[in-house]
Amino acid sequence: MGFNENQTATIQGSEPVVSVAKPELINGSHAVIQSLIAEGVKTIFGYPGGAIMPVYDAIYDYQDQVNHILVRHEQGAAHAAEGFARITGEVGVCLVTSGPGATNLVTGIADAIIDSTPMVCIIGQVASHLLGTDAFQETDVMGITIPITKWNYQVTNADEIPEIIAKAFYIAKSGRPGPVLIDITKDAQQKLMTKPFVHKKVETLLSYHPRMAPKEEQLAAAAKLINQAKRPFLFVGHGVQIAGAEQELIRFVEKTDIPVASTLLGLSSMSVDHPNYVGWLGMHGNYGTNVLTNQCDLIIAVGMRFDDRVTGDLSRYAKQAKVVHIEIDPAEIDKIMKADAPVVGDAKIALELLLPLVNENNHEAWKAEFKKYDAIEDQKITQPELAPTTEKIKMAEVIRTLSDKTKGEAVIVADVGQHQMMAARYYQFKKPSSYITSGGLGTMGYALPASFGAKVGAPDREVVAIIGDGCFQMTIQELGTIAQSGLPVKIIILNNNFLGMVRQWQQLFHQKRYSFVELQNPDFITIAKGFGIDGHTCAKREDLHASLDTMLASDKPYLLEVLVEKEENVFPMVPTGACVADIRLE
Amino acid sequence: MTSYTICVFTENTIGILNKITTIFTRRRINIDSLTVSETERKGISRFTIVIRHESRDAVEKLVRQIRKIIEVLAVFGYLNEDIAYNEIALFKVSTPIGAKPLDIETINKTYKAWVVYWHLTYVIIQKTGTEEEIFEFFDYIKPHEILEFVRSGRVAVSKSPQTLVDYLPEAEWEYYQ
Repeated sequence: MGFNENQTATIQGSEPVVSVAKPELINGSHAVIQSLIAEGVKTIFGYPGGAIMPVYDAIYDYQDQVNHILVRHEQGAAHAAEGFARITGEVGVCLVTSGPGATNLVTGIADAIIDSTPMVCIIGQVASHLLGTDAFQETDVMGITIPITKWNYQVTNADEIPEIIAKAFYIAKSGRPGPVLIDITKDAQQKLMTKPFVHKKVETLLSYHPRMAPKEEQLAAAAKLINQAKRPFLFVGHGVQIAGAEQELIRFVEKTDIPVASTLLGLSSMSVDHPNYVGWLGMHGNYGTNVLTNQCDLIIAVGMRFDDRVTGDLSRYAKQAKVVHIEIDPAEIDKIMKADAPVVGDAKIALELLLPLVNENNHEAWKAEFKKYDAIEDQKITQPELAPTTEKIKMAEVIRTLSDKTKGEAVIVADVGQHQMMAARYYQFKKPSSYITSGGLGTMGYALPASFGAKVGAPDREVVAIIGDGCFQMTIQELGTIAQSGLPVKIIILNNNFLGMVRQWQQLFHQKRYSFVELQNPDFITIAKGFGIDGHTCAKREDLHASLDTMLASDKPYLLEVLVEKEENVFPMVPTGACVADIRLE
Repeated sequence: MTSYTICVFTENTIGILNKITTIFTRRRINIDSLTVSETERKGISRFTIVIRHESRDAVEKLVRQIRKIIEVLAVFGYLNEDIAYNEIALFKVSTPIGAKPLDIETINKTYKAWVVYWHLTYVIIQKTGTEEEIFEFFDYIKPHEILEFVRSGRVAVSKSPQTLVDYLPEAEWEYYQ
């Protein structure tokens, strides 16, 4: 008998929510908007163009029900939708035109799939009779996005629209979330449906059955390993936040007394103040968490995928440890790390069901080992970073001061590079869903639009974007979107006039051959003011507190540029190809 | 290198072939043969994909990635001993006037191959069998000039007593009469 990956159904359909619109027949465009409304969509990030104009004509009539936000570039729409989805857990929605409109979304879609972010992208397409003729603004969007979408579908018939949109939302949000793309030809948008509009929510599909509740025997096997372990170590990934399993995690950890470390996207799932929280994993993670990964006897990985930035050299990674892998995506089991006890299912349900099966325990001595390493890291890295003797401001002190001023309760949206790592290291996260960044794809330019999307999704929370001077110039145009909305997104540029992370690698691994990493930057404050956004530059340490206070006190969008040390490096560091135990402190 | 046969059951939609093959392309796995047709259930296609790989582990990962495609209902990876399999080959063989005549008796009785089309100057012979049997016949017929040769690619069914219904219990698909 061969091996198979057939899964059994675990989601049973419940009563469908039926939303019946006006009895008269509507066209495809109205069906698009009414379906989105029926799915609970209140915000759309979009940009109009030729092939999507019928939908834009329809949306004009629904402005009281749907808030359409006009971005400045389609990539901005994708990242804003991601930021929105990451903070709300809801599906982010993009609406763009064919051809360049669609291809401009591609980076954001690729970002969303690797970071498991639910998104529905609705794309206009040339009329169906023009498909394949190289018509104006025709691109094979379906072909382009197959490898980077969870599902994509081309609609050529208006009657299909409600069903396909319902399916898209179900697929995007359920199981391991991801982006779904619907390509709608212009004629399908224009034509009248031949039957009355009915939108039924999809809650089960014939060919797709994400497993929510793990199998009992898998839970029992996992519990057995957990109960036997003398030095167990729990890793929190993005899956905990996606499942909303923060409370279950705390109950599990408090019963078992297991130390907890987080991946980059797992940050803020557990407060840094929790006595069992020992830090961050991976390339720029903490000293103790990395070294002791190779000394624990059991890894309990919850909703994470053993990214190479977490594991370093896999052949020397946690070889001594057994692995319990709790993960909703069965394809992640054994993909990188062989699991001794795989638990396929939703993190929240899995932790809840495991709780009665695990023994109360006390791991004081084991947890104390982390403290020893913390003391070394504190003395060698953290203290010098936070209380530097250098003239220039260091990134770490900006982040920690911000952390103190916001009591660790702000939403930090970090871009990609040194500032991202510094934000992860030095912000003291106290509340869940507080760190949003492009983890898997490492998309520079992510933070400005994503922070805006996050603010739209969580208007009551303080949202602060931490951006490097290089990243900022990749999506700088979204200042226009932010200005037009008036939403008080706070933007900090940590300006070192370098592509800092690349420069760090060139310094450490390429004999300081600084190849095209120095930037001649514009005057960011003048640019912001040109967009109608207030801001100022902080160049001196003694001004830092007042600068952050000014920024935080603003009830409008605000840009704070901080001139930081030009050539500082992020440590600790597990260089590519090194073993986690060989983490460098300098 | 071990030969693996991967059977994929999918909803029959436009683009599904592309969705499946891109999983192979990304992992730099070459496809030796590929056949697609509708199954005993309307609307469900069956892909039979043959690859060679040195790592069973890698093939299992591949199978799990294929399973993630939304339209895919089930995926099975098989070793040759797990399946009954065959392909069809057609040989267009030159038979000019004056050439050595074909030994139809040997072709029929030894090689279980059949002439399916006669022309004045050539014949088309159909041979069903495993890849090895087809190439044995290829070597036999080669001395006569082969004008064209084509193989269908493998079709395979598992030796397991289970049916498609066992794997897709909740399906309400129309069966062929």
